[in-house]
Amino acid sequence: MEQIINPIALYTVCVLGGLGVAFALPRRDQRMQILGGVLFAAALGVAALALGLKASQAGGLPNYFFYPFALVGLGASVRMITHPRPVYSALYFILTIIASCGMYLLLSAEFMAFALVIIYAGAILITYLFVIMLAMQAPTSTRDELLDDTDAVAREPVLAAALAFILLGILTTAMFRGIGEIHPAGNERTALNGVLQYLPAKVDRVLRRADMIDDDEQVLRLADGTAAVDADTGIITIENTDLHTTRLITGDEWPENLEASNLDRLGFNLMHDHPMTIEIAGIILLMAMLGATVLARKHTEYEDELKASHARKLGLDGSPNTNAGGQR
Amino acid sequence: MMDPVLTLAQLSFPAPVGDSMLAHYLFVSAAMFVIGLIGFITRKNMIIMFLCTELMFQGAGLALIAFGRHHLGQDGQTFVIFVLCVAAAEAAMALALVVLLFRHRESLSAEAWKDLQG
Repeated sequence: MEQIINPIALYTVCVLGGLGVAFALPRRDQRMQILGGVLFAAALGVAALALGLKASQAGGLPNYFFYPFALVGLGASVRMITHPRPVYSALYFILTIIASCGMYLLLSAEFMAFALVIIYAGAILITYLFVIMLAMQAPTSTRDELLDDTDAVAREPVLAAALAFILLGILTTAMFRGIGEIHPAGNERTALNGVLQYLPAKVDRVLRRADMIDDDEQVLRLADGTAAVDADTGIITIENTDLHTTRLITGDEWPENLEASNLDRLGFNLMHDHPMTIEIAGIILLMAMLGATVLARKHTEYEDELKASHARKLGLDGSPNTNAGGQR
Repeated sequence: MMDPVLTLAQLSFPAPVGDSMLAHYLFVSAAMFVIGLIGFITRKNMIIMFLCTELMFQGAGLALIAFGRHHLGQDGQTFVIFVLCVAAAEAAMALALVVLLFRHRESLSAEAWKDLQG
């Protein structure tokens, strides 16, 4: 297979990026952090150039929106781990998520992109922000810029960055070697529109809107309830419900907007191929909710008093003073 | 003149994503994962440590979606939904733990707990 990236460029990117992140991690010296940021930006630039030049030779350049999304996403994620203030870290993470949503859109995963904005940026990160604001004291005039060591100084930045970027080098090398042996499975039309046979009502609607079937016609329903749509050849069998005659629509006449949308295919895959996993996911979420409630519960004085008074009422309290009712 | 909506949707949808295009997305996802890993190791603030695990989830999710697009299958996207579920559950548990630990030591530092015995 053809080379996807020049190995020298790849390892240069890893070294530059590692140095950049190691310097940019929180420390007392601001100038080092700026130097780290510059180094990391240089690494990103080299990576984009090396990948892009090779890809343009091979003719497989991604959509040009990819580059800004990738740069914003990676830059924001580095800023997230280097910013000393947790609130800003969370906000930079939201930026990372929105950039990866852009990449999801480029990969035609619209539903996941919007779900990511709603669930991650809208729910999970807001919860994080709430907890950060609960746990942090607001900076007062006396301790304004004086962050304590917890946030201001990183632990083992050089070692961590070196190990992690060695891991990145190995990961990318392995991935770029391995991709060549994987090929898209099956016929594209089958992969994309195979779901249509399970959506007879949708096929009916689209065909009727395209004036390809009359009011008394519909797609032939097979015995198991699926529609007679052959995604491989594009042949659709139409049944006249009054006369019980059938006719065929061939692949050439296939209307342009008759296609399973991303949401159709995703929903079908979710419900048809992974029903048990949904159940398990539900159980995990329920258990997490219960566990979080139990863990974060506050034992208040009031509760203790209430328990004690209940115990007195029931005569369970062992001390003789309060247990007057029990001794007749 | 290209239709901007079509451009955003990677032009002709059924065309498979080639190796070199896939490599771009995989590189970004691996870099995101690794940055999250560095953050998890180096930062001492427990909330940021858990944020970094979320960043690693993001990297994994991007790889899943890119491979799903490469194969023209839906399993990648389906699994990102489950990754989202696990991330939400993990965030709930982690934040509950952080709140619990913060009440004991009045500090978010992971080092406040370094005397814990295994």
